[in-house]
Amino acid sequence: MSWPPRAAPLPVPGESGAMTGRGTPSRFLTAVLHNGVGRYVRQLQRLQLLFSPTAADARGARDFVEEAALDFARQHPDVVLYISPRSGRAPLLLAEYLNGTVREELVASKTCEEIVQLATKLAGQSGLDIIRIRKPFHTDNPSIQGQWHPLTNKPSILTVQGPRLQPQ
Amino acid sequence: PAAMATRLLLAASRRLLAGAGAGAGARPGLRFRMLSPPEKKRWLRAYLEQQRSEQPNWDYHAEIQAFSHRLHENFSLDLLKTAFVNSCYIESEEARRRELGLDEGSVALNLQDNSKLAEQGMSFSRAYLLRCFEGAYPDLPAKGVEALVDFLTSQELVSYVAQNLSIQDLTLCKEFPVPPDVLQRTFFAVIGALLDSSGPEKTGIFVRDFFIPQLIGKDLFEIWEVVNPMGLLVEELTKRNISSPEPRITRQLGVSTVLPLYFVGLYCDKKIIAEGPGETLLAAEEEAARVALRKLYGYTENRRPWDYSKPKQGLAAEKAISSN
Repeated sequence: MSWPPRAAPLPVPGESGAMTGRGTPSRFLTAVLHNGVGRYVRQLQRLQLLFSPTAADARGARDFVEEAALDFARQHPDVVLYISPRSGRAPLLLAEYLNGTVREELVASKTCEEIVQLATKLAGQSGLDIIRIRKPFHTDNPSIQGQWHPLTNKPSILTVQGPRLQPQ
Repeated sequence: PAAMATRLLLAASRRLLAGAGAGAGARPGLRFRMLSPPEKKRWLRAYLEQQRSEQPNWDYHAEIQAFSHRLHENFSLDLLKTAFVNSCYIESEEARRRELGLDEGSVALNLQDNSKLAEQGMSFSRAYLLRCFEGAYPDLPAKGVEALVDFLTSQELVSYVAQNLSIQDLTLCKEFPVPPDVLQRTFFAVIGALLDSSGPEKTGIFVRDFFIPQLIGKDLFEIWEVVNPMGLLVEELTKRNISSPEPRITRQLGVSTVLPLYFVGLYCDKKIIAEGPGETLLAAEEEAARVALRKLYGYTENRRPWDYSKPKQGLAAEKAISSN
């Protein structure tokens, strides 16, 4: 049965119903383009590291650029890593995914190892929204022997109710 | 204070810099900052964004290399770069250079466009998919196989696949956003480039890995439009020397209500071949014919899933090449 994938319902502005599952957006478990069925394509396209060369909270970012950025780039040849130092800005890690999502992560006052962990985590994600997933499973063929309906095991009206048949 | 306000706005809406200019972009940015982030990103991005290649932080060569690594394929980079060049881009670039007043020598771009690669890719993909389906569903008639292949190489599907592989960022094209037929042509050109770089077997596996999962969850008759399933069923049964089917009602519910339900079974030589439900007797009979056709062609919902393991498909790809 083909279940058409529905867009996640967005909250109506003005309501703050974050207590229930209904008040916050949710989606079904899905993969972009059935990733993994054919071959696995890393969904992270590019990472941009924007940081200031002098600010104090960008120290982890500067250490990352000096020590760990090359290793990260070698281990992930399919992610393009852009390093752009610009002054007067909070250090930011921008992740762009194949389906168009752009995620910004603030890396102010993070150490180099934490930034590496964060970058690795972003490299493993797909660009789908990080919202509540309704069920932790998904299948396109929910029934092998045929979906049950109330008439499944009832005899058809063509069955003849006669005297007991002799065993052959 | 005015300068500081402008700098804050520029900081908040950095992507607008590449667009119409900081002045025009800044004012919408202020109003929309009050929306929660997911909403601002979705339609604001679509409204104001420019091509990725015109935004800061873009290195074409690195992106092309990453593209080939991402797909786990070894492309020859010149062929790949040629595959992304469209003829409309070449024309518009030459027109722009002419307008800028350059002399005729430097107007001509030394770029080949991707039309030959696109044709190669398209014909290879079609031939390969035809072979795949003829092998996997031998009972499916030629029209059905053609309908499946047409669906998989149709504009919407190919442009959807291409968009989710971010081919629209790398494409050189006149218009933005890239129209779907250009995306389709570019994707087939990429396949043609892969064919020239790595050979038919690897390209066959590539086509299999990206096109065939798009059939997941789809029913045969959603893709292949059959107007008279009962007639088709009678033809198929006569080909197999089975007598023509007799429809009988097997179950019915709510006959005198607004929503009746009839199950019609088709019997050949008093043996049931299929049963289908419907709201009216005619609808139920048609549905039963469709169920029977699905069973005959082996395209039921509980069929064995497609085999994506390492190739024994070398044979199919070679046949595809030799038939070109």
